[in-house]
Amino acid sequence: MAINLRVIRALGMRSIRQTFRRPQLIAPIVVFPTLLLAIQTGGAGAAVNLPGFPPVQSFLQFMLAGAMMQSLMLAGNSGGIALAVDIEMGFTDRLFTAPISRFTIVLGRLAGTAALGLFSSLWFLAIGLIFGAEIQSGVPGALIAIFLVTSAALAVGGIGAAIALRTGSASVVQGLFPLVLVVLFLSSAFFPENLMIQPAQTIAEYNPLSLIVNGIRSPMISGISASETLYAVLTITGIIVLGLGLSARALRHRLRAG
Amino acid sequence: MPAIVVEGLERAFGEVRAVQGIDLEVAEGEIYGFLGPNGAGKTTTVRVLTTLLLPTGGRATVAGHDVVAEARAVRGSIGVALQEAALDPLMTGRELIRLQATLQGIPSEEGKRRADDLLERVDLAAAADRRVGTYSGGMQRRLDLAAALVHEPRVLFLDEPTTGLDPVSRKTIWEEVRGLNEEGTTVFLTTQYLEEADQLADRVGIIDDGKIVAKGTPESLKAEIGHPHIELHLAEGSVAQAEEICARIGKLLPPKDAKAVLVEVENGAADIPRVVRALDEAGIAVESLELVRPTLDDVFVEKTGYHLAEEIEEEAEKEPVEV
Amino acid sequence: MDASAAVAARNPTWRTNLATIGALMVRAKNELLRVPGAAIPGVLAPTIFFLGLNGVFGALTQLKGFSTGSYESFIVPVSMLQGAGFTGAAAGVNLARDIEQGWLDRLLVSPAPRWVLLAGTVLAASARSLIPATLVLIVALALGASFPGLDGLLIAYFMVAAMAAVAACWASTLALHFKSQSAAPLMQAGMMALILTTTAYAPIALLQGWLKSVAQVNPVTQVIDAARQGFVGGVTWAETWPGLLALIGLLALLGTLALREMRRTAV
Repeated sequence: MAINLRVIRALGMRSIRQTFRRPQLIAPIVVFPTLLLAIQTGGAGAAVNLPGFPPVQSFLQFMLAGAMMQSLMLAGNSGGIALAVDIEMGFTDRLFTAPISRFTIVLGRLAGTAALGLFSSLWFLAIGLIFGAEIQSGVPGALIAIFLVTSAALAVGGIGAAIALRTGSASVVQGLFPLVLVVLFLSSAFFPENLMIQPAQTIAEYNPLSLIVNGIRSPMISGISASETLYAVLTITGIIVLGLGLSARALRHRLRAG
Repeated sequence: MPAIVVEGLERAFGEVRAVQGIDLEVAEGEIYGFLGPNGAGKTTTVRVLTTLLLPTGGRATVAGHDVVAEARAVRGSIGVALQEAALDPLMTGRELIRLQATLQGIPSEEGKRRADDLLERVDLAAAADRRVGTYSGGMQRRLDLAAALVHEPRVLFLDEPTTGLDPVSRKTIWEEVRGLNEEGTTVFLTTQYLEEADQLADRVGIIDDGKIVAKGTPESLKAEIGHPHIELHLAEGSVAQAEEICARIGKLLPPKDAKAVLVEVENGAADIPRVVRALDEAGIAVESLELVRPTLDDVFVEKTGYHLAEEIEEEAEKEPVEV
Repeated sequence: MDASAAVAARNPTWRTNLATIGALMVRAKNELLRVPGAAIPGVLAPTIFFLGLNGVFGALTQLKGFSTGSYESFIVPVSMLQGAGFTGAAAGVNLARDIEQGWLDRLLVSPAPRWVLLAGTVLAASARSLIPATLVLIVALALGASFPGLDGLLIAYFMVAAMAAVAACWASTLALHFKSQSAAPLMQAGMMALILTTTAYAPIALLQGWLKSVAQVNPVTQVIDAARQGFVGGVTWAETWPGLLALIGLLALLGTLALREMRRTAV
């Protein structure tokens, strides 16, 4: 058990180092969502005046949760790509022959993705503070947001890892990037669901990502809501279970198939 | 007028001096072999002469035009087949040659006719309408060569044209190059293969670490190093006598083993009958006889202190003669 | 080669140059037609973004200051121009790949002038950009966007083709400078930033903060407004000429940079 924890930590550190050493991996996770945040805040910011828009201090305050969501989804996609590259390069074979539990390979990669999620939550909170968006529920609210973003990154990372293990192809995982954006658009990430246009509105209302985004957003724009937080945690837990389950199956399949 | 004149040519990449002041001249109608190991500066030199790179020192003219001041005129006079065959896998062979013809300013109908002729000439007519991505390495090189010829250039640059090819494809390219040269095309050829330089080139320049270490015809370069020697393997007990006889014909060299006699001869194969007759008259039985000539690798080792390449085709030209 | 042919090679005629540009454009179509599925992301992406943007921000037209109640009509020109941006950037990525694989050398050792080689890449991108633009337009019209009229349509298409040329010049500059496909994200992101820091989402009066300031000076704002006019109202010369001027300026600037890089490949 102790060995496994050390391995997870080592692999986690490796995946973090990989990301931060290669600027072209950081860019989609941080730069692109920040750019989009800046553009959408300026471009659609007048939306706060729409009847039915939730009471917020500013559009930026509303959008931060969406930016964090975008960032963590891209981090999960990126982690999946990195794992697929490891598989293509044969690095995972080296790990498979080591005297460690095979699943630590997945957990190590996920630890890295979660760390990225943590980083991005801090990044956007800082941006919010710099540009005048207060966190309505103060420090406890910030901590909840950070916790939700980090665990959501873990959840999405699990799905990314499952796809990587199943397909073993970096370009397939990479090809899912546009799909990630589409799923994000069809949620409450960038706009309140009640103000979206049909059929996007209905899709967003049923999209589990909306529950997560609302959970992250609520402590920022208003008080901490027990129900929103609970829904978010349940959704994240569900995705984690799904992701880990699919990953375990894909791993077993890969090991058996060779 | 020489086809290519290079004076004090230099090309540096930051700190790295790839070409460090070389001089050479290629006569019109000649095949010039530029021989050297990987990283010697061959490709860099070719890229400067074909106007793909600007020199950082010195000057060069190709077909009478300065490569810097009259770059466009140079491009109109040269055909180029680079080391990385610059082909598009999505195009067919025919499309590629026709595109090359258009690039050279050849009108469409004429370009079509020349493409057909060239494809026939390099034996790609059957594959002409297949995508280049499906061609073998040898086919790709032949196509590259055909494309380089579409505008009937005065000077042809071939950068390592047979690297990575099997021996049969290599011989095909050699035949093609000889044929072109017979028609009057000047050929500047870079290679890391001794045999290629030896077989094809009228004159050779050997480059190492950015500098030319030897220049001349293959024969004169080898002669500089030494004369050929005859290696005789004799029956037991006749070595001493044979040595005495051979010493009168040429200079004895240290033998490799107790049953061998090595004698350096000035006239190469022409001296073999003398040696054989002399030994025969003395009643000495020769088990085998080989004429060993110095190779360009020997020239290379002499000038640089190390052998040219791992894939040296044949260590030496050996002509085993069973007696 | 005889002397007269060599002279011809030194001074290619306009006919030769046109033939070369045409041949390079013909080669460029292979990317679309001979690589299965390669065309799909580039052709679909603008339409997907259109659907996303419309679904998400469509309610903005309820605000005062919007000249139209139809967000589809408002953003369809943006999506068409985004498609132009993608297409131009993709042309740059292809050029970078051609450089990496040595294909560009073949073009560079030929007597074709450098501007002709660049024109082949740029004009191919312009032609290609009309495809995703048409798809977005059809989807938008199906969702209720107003038809811009023949004049509005022609202006929009012209803006799209010219914007693709601008994007191709930008991306080619990067490709020739970095000689590597790893510059691809910069090619795409640069165009995205240029096109979206404008009146893309909302009219200038409704833009907030820094974006408003940038949109006021960004020449692409004029391009978007010109392309948009038929969709949200009538077409006037007063709305059109600033967009044309902006495109001419951008092409002059980025075209010069790209040509400079093309001429410096030998350094």
